[in-house]
Amino acid sequence: MPILEIKNVSKFFGGLAANSDVSFSMEQGMIMGLIGPNGAGKTTLFNCITGYYPPSKGEVIFNGRRMNGLQPDKVCKLGMVRTWQKVRPLAKLSVVDNVMVGALVRTISLKTARDMAMEQLKVVRMEHRADFLAGGLPIGERKKLEVARALATQPKLLLLDEVMGGLNPAESDEIIQLILDIKAQGLTQMVIEHDMKAIMRISDRIVVLTSGEKLTEGTPQEVVSNQDVIDAYLGESHA
Amino acid sequence: MNKRMLKAAIGLIVLAGLLVVPRFVESPYALHMMILLFLSVSQGQSWNILGGYAGQYSVGHAAYFGVGAYTTMMLMYSKQVAPWVGVWAGVAAVIAVALVIGSICFRLRGPYFVLASIAVAEIMRLSAINLTTLTNGAEGILVTEIPAFKIGERVVTDFLTKVPFYYIGLFLALLTLAIAYWVQHSKLGYYFQAIREDQDAAHSLGIHISVYKNIGLVISAVLTSLAGSFYGIYVGFVDPPTVLGLDVSVQIMLICIIGGMGTIWGPVLGSLLLVPLSEALRSNMITEGLVKIGLVSADSKVGLFLKENLAHAHVLIYGILVVLVILFMPDGLMGFVKKLASRRKREAA
Repeated sequence: MPILEIKNVSKFFGGLAANSDVSFSMEQGMIMGLIGPNGAGKTTLFNCITGYYPPSKGEVIFNGRRMNGLQPDKVCKLGMVRTWQKVRPLAKLSVVDNVMVGALVRTISLKTARDMAMEQLKVVRMEHRADFLAGGLPIGERKKLEVARALATQPKLLLLDEVMGGLNPAESDEIIQLILDIKAQGLTQMVIEHDMKAIMRISDRIVVLTSGEKLTEGTPQEVVSNQDVIDAYLGESHA
Repeated sequence: MNKRMLKAAIGLIVLAGLLVVPRFVESPYALHMMILLFLSVSQGQSWNILGGYAGQYSVGHAAYFGVGAYTTMMLMYSKQVAPWVGVWAGVAAVIAVALVIGSICFRLRGPYFVLASIAVAEIMRLSAINLTTLTNGAEGILVTEIPAFKIGERVVTDFLTKVPFYYIGLFLALLTLAIAYWVQHSKLGYYFQAIREDQDAAHSLGIHISVYKNIGLVISAVLTSLAGSFYGIYVGFVDPPTVLGLDVSVQIMLICIIGGMGTIWGPVLGSLLLVPLSEALRSNMITEGLVKIGLVSADSKVGLFLKENLAHAHVLIYGILVVLVILFMPDGLMGFVKKLASRRKREAA
């Protein structure tokens, strides 16, 4: 059974179709890359999947359960969690407290939550930052904090929205390694990314969106050799 | 570890000191000041739970203060219900009010929530003025005789002096502090702060926003209601402006904002500053002090001017103080103290 099925999902804002008729499914343990030019509807799709917007049409099925209309907190409890393209640290809380907020969805005990949080900080290699204020971190560490906090909710599916955006190449490489480490632990991930080289390296399959519609889907090799993708990204004159 | 023991020791000494004060202090005025201080601490700390930790700036806490005070007083006045029973009726009424208000107002964020909270308190105030059969309207309710509190046949207290009120006030202040401490060191506190810092992020991490906001509101409202009932019984009189007015709401907020939001000791510091200050201004103590130390002569133009006007200017001075604190201590007195402490630590290192 696929862990996530997107069936004919559309999202309209007034007359504008931010997503129209998008369908694909994900198997347990895979990394799905989600790419497309700016405004293609990638983040809107994330919002539809995680309960921030109800889809206007279509269904989101997670682990066999229909998710339409569920609120984000319920979605998180069921095991699906997202990070934010524009990072959202809880600025006046320490790094470990930030991650603890994530862990507390699974426990009421602060001590257990702290242990769980420290474990995730180790995964993102930020144990030494535990007592720093989250608001004072540089962007690279804020992005990793987002990931640690999401992981602390013990998800079955992790949705990463441009975790490499705005990072330098060394930091991006670190994130790529992190995503592969998380995959090695068996966690399923959906990744929105602009950096083509990065997305090629980590994805098992890639879905390409343009103007809200699914253009194509396939392995990284299939996608880069697809004429429609080349047109959409580079413009027809380059073809 | 040593530092923690030191803190605990200081705490115990202060507590023991507070417990024996009425044995040595006979001046009703001094006891009165202490009672006002306790009341202020519990008001400020109650607001802190919702405003400071959960970041929901209610400017309508007079609603809960007033409903608590009025319920207890109305029951005592018209049905001769003993206040220690009436208090719980007040709490029940306030929970009902808070849940109705919460389920409506928490749909709003930021400044819109602030406006809605003011509106709710105003509705309560206008109701108290106009529902004359229940509340006596603008005349207010005066109850001077409190029945003696007995356990079995033994009279514990007859409420004839200020001493029982001193202990009730102290208990109330300690109770609110303890609850705030518990909130801060529990899942609730983490969730409140997550909602304060970023509501959308909190939502994505599995926090049911409106449930937790309402929990914060109910805790805060119940404690405010206890303070209101205590105030009503202590003063023996409630009317709409003194327990339901907008300035009551503002006063409650200021204790916390000036002292330091989202901290345990902030409201205590705020009370230690504001209660004596407002008393000194009201009773013209400042003018007298200035005359005594010889800065201003009592018969000079300035002296006469101050004597005439300073007592009436206490709201103005309050306002100036708030502006100064917000300008120079954006995290309140508590934040300022912490900053000083960490600077000293850094210099020592």
